[in-house]
Amino acid sequence: MTMTTDVRAAVVARGLSKTYGQGDAAVHALRGIDVSFATGAFTAIMGPSGSGKSTLMHCLAGLDTVSSGHVHIGDADITTLSDKQLTLLRRERIGFVFQAFNLLPTLTAEQNIRLPLEIAGRQADQVLMDRVVETVGLRDRLSHKPSQLSGGQQQRVAVARALISKPQVIFADEPTGNLDSRSGAEVLAFLRRSVRELGQTIVMVTHDPVAASYADRVVFLRDGLLVSEVTQPTPQSVHDMLLKLEA
Amino acid sequence: MLRTTLAGLVAHRLRLLLTSLAITLGVGFIAGTFVLTDTIEQGFRQLFTADAAKVAVAVTPKDELIPAKVLDELTALPGVSGAQGLVRGTAPLLDKSGRAAGSTATSGISVAAGPLDRTSYVAGTAPGGPGEAVLDENTARTRQFAVGDTITVLDLAEKRRQFTLVGLIDVGVDQNLAYTGAVGFDTATALEMTGAKGYREIDLAASAGVSPETLKKTVSEALGQTYTIKTGEELARKLALDSNVELDYLVLVLLLFGCVAMFVAALVIYNTFNILVAQRTREMALLRCIGATRGQVFRSILLESAVVGLVSSVLGLLVGLGLGALGLAALGRFDAPVPTGASVALTPRTIVLGLVVGLLVTVVAAVLPARGATRVAPIAALRSQVEEQTFRAGLARSIGAGLLLAGGLALTAVAIWVLDGNTGLLVAMGGGAVFFLGVIVIGPVLMSPLGAFAGWVPRKVFGVPGRLAVDNSRRNPKRAATTTVALTIGVTLMTLISVITASTRETVVSSLDEQFPVDFMITAQYGREDGMPLVPAEVPATLRALPEVGLVAEMRQDDTGEIASLPDRAVFRPEVVSGSLAALTTGTVALSETQAKNLGAKVGDDVPLTTTKAGKVEVKVAALLGQDSLNGTMPYTVPAADFDKYFGAIGPVRVYVKVKDGTAADVSRRAVEAALTAYPTAQLVSAADVRGEFDDAFDMMFTIFAALLGLAILISLLGIANTLSLSVHERTRESALLRALGLTRPQLRGMLSIEALVLGLVGALVGVVIGVAFGWAALQTIPNDTVFVVPVGQVLLYLVLSALAGVLAAVLPARRAANASIVGSLAAS
Ligand SMILES: Nc1ncnc2c1ncn2[C@@H]1O[C@H](COP(=O)(O)OP(=O)(O)OP(=O)(O)O)[C@@H](O)[C@H]1O
Ligand SMILES: [Mg+2]
Repeated sequence: MTMTTDVRAAVVARGLSKTYGQGDAAVHALRGIDVSFATGAFTAIMGPSGSGKSTLMHCLAGLDTVSSGHVHIGDADITTLSDKQLTLLRRERIGFVFQAFNLLPTLTAEQNIRLPLEIAGRQADQVLMDRVVETVGLRDRLSHKPSQLSGGQQQRVAVARALISKPQVIFADEPTGNLDSRSGAEVLAFLRRSVRELGQTIVMVTHDPVAASYADRVVFLRDGLLVSEVTQPTPQSVHDMLLKLEA
Repeated sequence: MLRTTLAGLVAHRLRLLLTSLAITLGVGFIAGTFVLTDTIEQGFRQLFTADAAKVAVAVTPKDELIPAKVLDELTALPGVSGAQGLVRGTAPLLDKSGRAAGSTATSGISVAAGPLDRTSYVAGTAPGGPGEAVLDENTARTRQFAVGDTITVLDLAEKRRQFTLVGLIDVGVDQNLAYTGAVGFDTATALEMTGAKGYREIDLAASAGVSPETLKKTVSEALGQTYTIKTGEELARKLALDSNVELDYLVLVLLLFGCVAMFVAALVIYNTFNILVAQRTREMALLRCIGATRGQVFRSILLESAVVGLVSSVLGLLVGLGLGALGLAALGRFDAPVPTGASVALTPRTIVLGLVVGLLVTVVAAVLPARGATRVAPIAALRSQVEEQTFRAGLARSIGAGLLLAGGLALTAVAIWVLDGNTGLLVAMGGGAVFFLGVIVIGPVLMSPLGAFAGWVPRKVFGVPGRLAVDNSRRNPKRAATTTVALTIGVTLMTLISVITASTRETVVSSLDEQFPVDFMITAQYGREDGMPLVPAEVPATLRALPEVGLVAEMRQDDTGEIASLPDRAVFRPEVVSGSLAALTTGTVALSETQAKNLGAKVGDDVPLTTTKAGKVEVKVAALLGQDSLNGTMPYTVPAADFDKYFGAIGPVRVYVKVKDGTAADVSRRAVEAALTAYPTAQLVSAADVRGEFDDAFDMMFTIFAALLGLAILISLLGIANTLSLSVHERTRESALLRALGLTRPQLRGMLSIEALVLGLVGALVGVVIGVAFGWAALQTIPNDTVFVVPVGQVLLYLVLSALAGVLAAVLPARRAANASIVGSLAAS
């Protein structure tokens, strides 16, 4: 298979498979996925529970190894990198927002936001910092520890942290899964704003059609295969597609 | 509930392993102590029993020696098939250079072949006549004599006598002979060489058909009450008993260290169970939700601790066996006069004691954590995240700590300024222990500032991992405090010992410099006669005649050790408190300050002196000498000429020699040695020799203490490793997050190492401070002016080593954290 890397794609996966376990106990979580995520776009990944969404995201982000296939982030094929190279790549080019436990409890909100930069030994771009903090709307909460913040606030801090190092792509795994709909909406709006205003690329896994409707494009997984996609989604169109898939 | 507990134990077996290791080592030390001493005891018993089997009846004197005619009398008794008198005295062996070997004269003993001979031969045979002798193997080795050599021994008149060395013997467990070395002759020669006026023991063999008891009766009837008469068996029992008394001290000292190790182990257990309970809050709450009572939760934790305690105690007994064997091997290596041949013995007493101590300590240490577990509310099961433990110093804790700290200081102050001597020292150490308890109680409060202090440099140097590590080390002050305090105990004791050794060493050296401003000292060999051995009277004059020698001063004193003659004042500069030494002329005396106080005398008063040649005399006090001066400890000092008048021209106890300026050390030494050839028993030591001997003694003592404390320190390091691995477990998701954000594996490992380094450093810092402070306090209770020295290098070394040891303890937990898969860890609950 020849590889033509789409210059506009931030992340490209080709023939991506992931198998857990061996022999009879083998679980084929991903069965050969070809997908690319455009730079400056907000993409949602959806699918029934157990369809392989988290696994796909982990493989795309270099957090887990793949069984076969390739993943390119920018010009780097991350499936060929050593652990050390992968770590440095994550540090420089990838941002994360997890469903829960995103922040170090010993650090304040601001320290948490700056953490990736400090790990990389880089200076924070003060203009960006101000802008991010402004967008997140947490200026008066910066000196608080995570335990003093609400769940929604914690997730916003996590998003701010992902943004601050200007990564090529941010991966978010159900970032609003633990939030009520209002806090969820705040976080999602914030994510979309960062795509529009900062040109950030975001890939988000979600269960929620409403959350998915914030994205520019939604791709659907079933049994480890990419089965369809919807561009310019609305909650209704996503919902319909899900019903169709589950039928 | 029992099933749940056991399932839990199996599930957490890895975590409990380190914990059990702490108890295992503690129990191992205590069991090892008993294994060692029991084995030695058994060895003694075997040895004495074997010896005693050869002897039917033994006659020993009550005070004087047994005269020769008693031996004849006993030989003639019916039922006696053989009799042998044992002789022991001194018979100075000359080494190959012709000087008497050792500072104490070699013992001369009788060795007679025959059925009653209890000697064990390493090589050769018993002396077969007056021209033959045997030597103990240690002396033979150190002085390089072999069977077939000719050895020279001084007889009573200090005349050189030559013997052919026909055998080497093992003096076994005879402490005295092991110390002095022994040269053995046949009985007649031994009597002649040592000048002994009788026997120290007479052994009898019984004729066929005569029982020892019957023979004992016969002998008693013949000798009456003058002597102690025992059958061989009774003798063996008594000898074994005597040797056990000495063993009891060994047991006591070793157990003291064992208790320290056990206490440290208890802290480790306490901490581990606390952490385990904290981590299992949800599990516990779930149990409560489904109906478990508080009592059941409490009992399940105690049961868990009991199982851990039991398993580790059993392992501890095995370790004890090993340690006992190791200790025995060490004693064997250093030729300690104890039987090392017996097979190691694990007696029922050791087993019961080890199990009980291990079990008890573990369960007691787990009581508080178990009580904490009962306070878990069922609702905690529903909370998603374990709450961060915040610590606030409660009022009770503050008051308790305050009382303990103040009490400890007060006790120590009383010890320093009110009491003195041994009580003072004991009270000061008790004060130290109380103060230390206070530190343990207040520890969590100290942890945060100390962590910040110790972490200051790592924070600056190691970037983000450093900062995170220091924050983590201060995150749970209670846990960190208990972890480090275990190490603090070891470091405190090490520092204390270092300070005391260094100070005593310095005191000895400075007093040596002050009182021994000379190059050589000559003393007589000990052991030849009762009382102070004297250097031949003509030695000072012989030395003064040497061109290499500058000054010679002789220290002479009377038999009671109270009255001394004034030595050459060019060498000695006693501290004169009042009066003057110039006034010390015929018919006067200088008193020590203490003696003046005792007598209520001052300069100008008349005091009585009891002399041997001039009877009672009245002398006028010319001066009072300070405590620190060389003669300060001698109550009376009289002019040299007067001393001759009072006591005759007796030899000095010590002669001090100062070489002429510009004479090389080896040249002067050879000259002095040559001058002393005629006096083989005179012992020549240089100032450097004396210092070297002191240094060796101090080093030896220090090494032994350090080795014994090593175990407690090892256990505390296990504690650090344990806490870290539990913390790592707790922070699995945090570590995964950091890795996802780009922290490399080495950085994550480094982070945990730094955390451990900070913990180690904090523990050591506190230990060093307390150790130095109480080292000072201990020295203050010693009445004589002791110099206070802090061995800075050594103390710094403890800090560095503790920090490094912390890092070492972190190796395994850090590896585990760094090698965990990110995805798997993120999913962990
Ligand atoms: N570590 C693992 N070992 C074995 N099987 C695994 C492992 N992780 C995931 N799986 C399996 O792989 C498949 C995909 O899992 P994945 O977590 O990617 O699903 P998901 O789409 O994220 O589901 P959800 O919506 O519930 O989060 C599932 O069948 C799951 O059981
Ligand atoms: Mg998932």
